[in-house]
Amino acid sequence: MFDRKKLEAEIRDLIVRSCLGISDDVKGLMEKALARETNAGARSMMQSMLDNLNIAKKERKPVCQSPGYPTVYVSFGDKSLPGDFKSLFGRHLVQATNEGLMRPSIVHPLTRKNPGDNSGEGVPNYEIDYVPEQEYLEMIISSKGCGAELGNLMKIMTTVTLGDNYSGLKRTILETMVEAGGKPCPPVGVGIGIGGQMDVACKLSRKAVSVRRWDDENPDPLYGSLERELLEQINSLGLGAAGTGGDTYALAVKILGASTHTAIAPIAVNFHCWVARRAGVRLYLDGRREIIF
Amino acid sequence: MQEIILKAPLKEEDTRALNVGDVVYIDGAIFTARDMAHLTVRKLLEAGKPLPVDFAGSVVFHAGPVVKKTSSGWDMIVIGPTTSIRMEPYAEMVGKLGVKAIIGKGGMQEGTSQINQKYGSVYLQAAPGCAAKLAGGIERIDGVHWLELGVPEAMWVLQAKKFGPLVVGMDSKGRSIYRDLREKAYRRIKELYG
Repeated sequence: MFDRKKLEAEIRDLIVRSCLGISDDVKGLMEKALARETNAGARSMMQSMLDNLNIAKKERKPVCQSPGYPTVYVSFGDKSLPGDFKSLFGRHLVQATNEGLMRPSIVHPLTRKNPGDNSGEGVPNYEIDYVPEQEYLEMIISSKGCGAELGNLMKIMTTVTLGDNYSGLKRTILETMVEAGGKPCPPVGVGIGIGGQMDVACKLSRKAVSVRRWDDENPDPLYGSLERELLEQINSLGLGAAGTGGDTYALAVKILGASTHTAIAPIAVNFHCWVARRAGVRLYLDGRREIIF
Repeated sequence: MQEIILKAPLKEEDTRALNVGDVVYIDGAIFTARDMAHLTVRKLLEAGKPLPVDFAGSVVFHAGPVVKKTSSGWDMIVIGPTTSIRMEPYAEMVGKLGVKAIIGKGGMQEGTSQINQKYGSVYLQAAPGCAAKLAGGIERIDGVHWLELGVPEAMWVLQAKKFGPLVVGMDSKGRSIYRDLREKAYRRIKELYG
């Protein structure tokens, strides 16, 4: 078990980092996209985005007005039990809100009443994974903007609708990009969950774009080649940064899969805005500490 | 590209002169309004009650700020655009009120395009996710209405000085960069998959 004070300091650090900046993988991809952009309007938009990162950092201001909706991914093994991280994340999200690092944006789903401090039933959303042999505790917070959620898709496809060479799947994903347009604050990350049942595909789609580095390679060759092909095709649509035209609408496509039933092929598409407020850390019992992003 | 500074309250002839792709900045009053503020305006209008601000010639910003309470009022911390399409159902009401420019992200649809032609209004695209940068164009917060709706959904009255850059995404001639890009993208999908 980890020392509670140390755990609390790490959780506070994750939350503060995810308010004030974006993950380094996404910043790197943004810089590369700007360097090769040929559309003048898109270049100006992306330059504003990179300027914004510098201003937020220098003035210690939230990098975006929307704090998004926080999801926390925690994984641990038999030797790396985390202790009570749940109360700590909730408490420090409220504290960050009171300090002006986050706008209070969490409301009751029906009455829309805002308690004013980003607290609420089920907030943050926890995705907890037990990996028996894992020797470290991994904690990742992803505060994903909800304009991005407005573009998301969940669909139960079938063997037939997947199509030859997955053409039906690819068309569905491209159409989802066009319908989303500028809503998810492009250049986006696109998380795709394939398989399982409805909820499994949805969770995988969120996990793919929240937990994986956007500049990594998929270890599965089929998913890896689909990621590369889809990224190229999405960008060939010309939707561009901000959805106002240009060469880069998506910075990355990330796929996670699970086995499914022979009658169905569930797919979910989950957008992440370019403002990738993500921070993650791995903690070892011997005191070692690795920053994921 | 020509740089244009618009002074609020706006004159119809100024917004009618704008074309898609123009880069503009705003000086003067800006009112924020998201889903709940639009709903509140509709309810007040239906009940025949007065509105707290004059929307004639106004600039409405689809946004909710991060603010800090001070002894004398409010300080702006950061502000950026929210997704505009959610406010599309209010296109007619917003046009009739006399709103001449909407600032947001992602664009709006045919209802708004028709209203733009009818009333000479425009839709302005702000750079998404650039709240710290955009806050540099807000001089002060002059007031807030309907704070009981919560900080994001309340209507904030802002005083802007060279707020932008904003790109005209939809003009009063009925043109829309969003519509054009969408049609082009669907043609590309047809090329790829028939």
